[in-house]
Amino acid sequence: MKNYLELASISAKVRKDQNRMTVFCIIFSVFLVMTIFGMADMEIRTMRKQAKEDYGEWHIAFRGMDDEQMEILAGRPEIETCSRYDVLNYRLDMHYRIEGEEALIAGLDRTGLDVFGVRMQEGVFPEEPGEVMIDADMKKRLGLTVGSRIVLSGPDGTEFVYQVTGILEQTPMLAEKGVFGLIMNMEGFRNIRAKEGEERESLIYVKFLPWCNIRKAEESIRDQFGIPEDKVSGNELLLATMGQSDDPTILILYGAALFLSILAAVAGVLMISSSMNSYVVRRTEFFGLLSCLGAERKQISRLVRKEALGWCRIAVPAGIGIGTGIIWLLCAFLRLTNPEYFGKMPGFGISWIGMACGAAVGVASVLMAARAPAKRAAKVSPLEAVSGNAHSNMGVRKAAGKGFGRIETALGIHHALYSGKNFILTTSSFAFSIILFLAFATTVDFMGHALNGLQPYTPDISLIGQEGDSSMDGELGERISKIEGVKRVYGRMFAYDVPVEIRGEKGSACIISYEDYQFGWAKEDLVEGSFEEAVNGRGMLAVFRPDQPVREGDVLQIDTGNGGEEFAISGVLSQCPFNSADGEVILICSESTFQGLTGEEDYTIIDIQLNRRASNTTIDEIRALAGDDVHLSDRRMKNRQAKGAMYSVIVFVYGFLAVIALITVFHVINIIAMSVSARMRQYGAMRAVGMECAQMEKMIVAEAGTYALWGMIIGCGAGLPVNRILYYYMVTVRWGEEWTFPTASLAVILIVVAVSLAAAVHHPVRRVRRMSVVETIIRTE
Amino acid sequence: MKILEVQNLSKIYGKGENQINALKNVSFVMEKGEFAAIVGESGSGKSTLLNCVGGLDTPTAGRVFVDGEDLFQLDERKRTIFRRRNIGFIFQEFHLIEELNVEQNITFPLLLDGRKPEKERVEEILEVLGLADRRKHLPSQLSGGQQQRAAIGRALIMQPTLILADEPTGNLDSASSRDVMELLVRASRRYQQTILMITHNMNLVSDMDRVFRVTDGVLKDMGGYFGADNHSDSLERGNEDEKLS
Repeated sequence: MKNYLELASISAKVRKDQNRMTVFCIIFSVFLVMTIFGMADMEIRTMRKQAKEDYGEWHIAFRGMDDEQMEILAGRPEIETCSRYDVLNYRLDMHYRIEGEEALIAGLDRTGLDVFGVRMQEGVFPEEPGEVMIDADMKKRLGLTVGSRIVLSGPDGTEFVYQVTGILEQTPMLAEKGVFGLIMNMEGFRNIRAKEGEERESLIYVKFLPWCNIRKAEESIRDQFGIPEDKVSGNELLLATMGQSDDPTILILYGAALFLSILAAVAGVLMISSSMNSYVVRRTEFFGLLSCLGAERKQISRLVRKEALGWCRIAVPAGIGIGTGIIWLLCAFLRLTNPEYFGKMPGFGISWIGMACGAAVGVASVLMAARAPAKRAAKVSPLEAVSGNAHSNMGVRKAAGKGFGRIETALGIHHALYSGKNFILTTSSFAFSIILFLAFATTVDFMGHALNGLQPYTPDISLIGQEGDSSMDGELGERISKIEGVKRVYGRMFAYDVPVEIRGEKGSACIISYEDYQFGWAKEDLVEGSFEEAVNGRGMLAVFRPDQPVREGDVLQIDTGNGGEEFAISGVLSQCPFNSADGEVILICSESTFQGLTGEEDYTIIDIQLNRRASNTTIDEIRALAGDDVHLSDRRMKNRQAKGAMYSVIVFVYGFLAVIALITVFHVINIIAMSVSARMRQYGAMRAVGMECAQMEKMIVAEAGTYALWGMIIGCGAGLPVNRILYYYMVTVRWGEEWTFPTASLAVILIVVAVSLAAAVHHPVRRVRRMSVVETIIRTE
Repeated sequence: MKILEVQNLSKIYGKGENQINALKNVSFVMEKGEFAAIVGESGSGKSTLLNCVGGLDTPTAGRVFVDGEDLFQLDERKRTIFRRRNIGFIFQEFHLIEELNVEQNITFPLLLDGRKPEKERVEEILEVLGLADRRKHLPSQLSGGQQQRAAIGRALIMQPTLILADEPTGNLDSASSRDVMELLVRASRRYQQTILMITHNMNLVSDMDRVFRVTDGVLKDMGGYFGADNHSDSLERGNEDEKLS
């Protein structure tokens, strides 16, 4: 031994068993932070890939630049590549058709393939004005190949003939719109645009080099070319995954993630801190002895820190190792449960950010956590070692009351209550866990309302009557339901802009018909009144709107064109899958009521849900049955993405709740272990004067129970109002659903506290049972 | 040469009705190389006196000079460093660091002072203490007497001007007690160290240069062993009473 600090490593080896809990706390904290940051890293990587696939790899788009300016722009050093882009018939209202189907026509430069992340199945980019690329669905449906000729008919009947030079992979946007996609070079595109006679400002999509400060570069480009801010748009999702977005929603989301990570780090610091406190309490005499031998306070602090950092040498790599393993498991789980969305998640990805954050937070937590115990250790009087009374009177000023039955119970309660500071700290940490859990439990309710992917009514395929007319009869639905792979078919009729009078005020309404399936799903959202009246055709359901609250019992005067008809609002729904124009009330009624009101019998929309047996043949059969006049919207890819996003949020929200629960468990175990350790000598003395093990056990349980009871009272007292306030702002304001007592969440966290308590008491009780009375009295270490 | 000078030392615990005067105006002087014993009944204030002299406890009034330095005029840090370099402690319960072996325990105060242990000095102490063949043993592998010898080695390594021993033989059998006492006397003579020791065992007092008796916080200098002889019966009786309790 050449330096007194070497005592730290010698001590760590000898006291391996005693330090296990602290090392475990550090491992847990590192693992926690590593997993949160690592998963966030993996998720961002996946989102980045997804954003590139969905919206392309461009970062910023500038409107209103001419070709000459674009050439200058392309020469800027921070730009990797850029492309012009324009589109015709985007809203499918210009009637460019190929073989009777609406076609979307886009023009771009060859560099656009990279800018938009367009993947080609086969062929090459169309270099000549008479050449085009087509999408894979079009190739399949029209039986085309590279080299085929296609005829595009314009709105005025003009025909354009093109040769196919390449086939593109299908995109979610084209699938959902259910249209053909044609891509040509800018020259070819401008030829059509010229015939349209419409002058439009062209768009330049820019992809910047990695590590470039995109926002700064954008500002510089705007200054250079005098482009106003409103003519600039960004690929916000991609920019967000690069940390370069200034979109307030994304910034809030990132802020929330950062806040949660900080919370996890704080929880880690608290955990390590309380564990280290326990270590100092156990070693009071040792530090007193060091002080006796002439160790300065600074030296004792250094020794404690050195020992703490020594634990890091084992705990940090272990935490990182476990964290990496858990990340791999979670990634595998997500890939398995949702291959479409998470299929791009790295298999055995190494998250350097996660590792760095885990290690940094671990070491920083230990150093921060070691500060207070180190100071406490340094303040231990040398007398504590020489007197042998380090633990004997602990500042007790009041005798234990015997109002709670037997003496051991009274003593246990007294142990919990005797020191005000200790009692407040311990119960506060119990209460903190409960408050945290109840606060975050509201995110589950928010998630249930905000994520459409969760909703049971979401269709895979929608058939929409051309021009939004009601043109599909009920028989079509029945025929479709018999197709192999179809799970459910349900239709709706819509009547828009219907004049209504509510409480003497005139307005307009959108009336929608529901059948049994849809009424069944809507039951979940009923916040007022009942369903039966609406199902039976004697009333209507209104959808809650914060700006125009319609209440149950309100009477509506509906003008159907054939005179007014009165209906009572029999119930109010918090939400429905449809949006209405500003100020328009959404009213839901039965099919018979709708037919009686409007005279319409055909559906505007038929929604279809598919089962696992569904294939592309199923879609082809549906398309064939529906006919050319009905537009087919394939939402499967979008649904998969929404589901993926939902899974991410679920993993995140429930993962965080699990983390809070785990922190509670460790906290409770640590606090009780610490309290028992500090009293070992006293317990030894009690055993010596005849206290039985069972009595000892009761005493420890009474102490732990007192902390838990008060923690629960304070936790519920503060946590429930917090839960209610958060619920109001996150759910009630948006969807009108009133707060209900969070029985399930409360039960979960209270059970967690109770189970942790039982686990926490188990180990110390075993320790007390095994202790040698004589040794415990003589020596506490 | 004066090594220890205690002037009007008082220590009061508690307040009001609970006030206890543990030490009352204690004054005495010890010269270099002197070996003195403090005797007295349990609760008489012996340990309080030793703790105050060693700077472990703070007196309510009075001054303590060690080698001319006023202990309680120093701030906490300086007092700690002064204590480390000038005062060695020996306790009844040995208080060795469990995870360090004999040699490491002995050299530990030197390391705290940032000094490198001199090999010859360590060897000499181990030889004197009869622990040369036990140097790599942990405290748990030693007998009580050997542990106390190691604790004495730890007190001697810094060559302090003053050694304070609180019943160093209290936990030892008679043979080990004799060993330890011989060692302390030898150290006192060989290194000219001043030793102040609390003891209940009047058989040990015969080796001392002086004996102080503390009764209810009041110190009386009994001079040499023969001066203390008149009180030996009552002291031994007190010791017997303690053993019975």
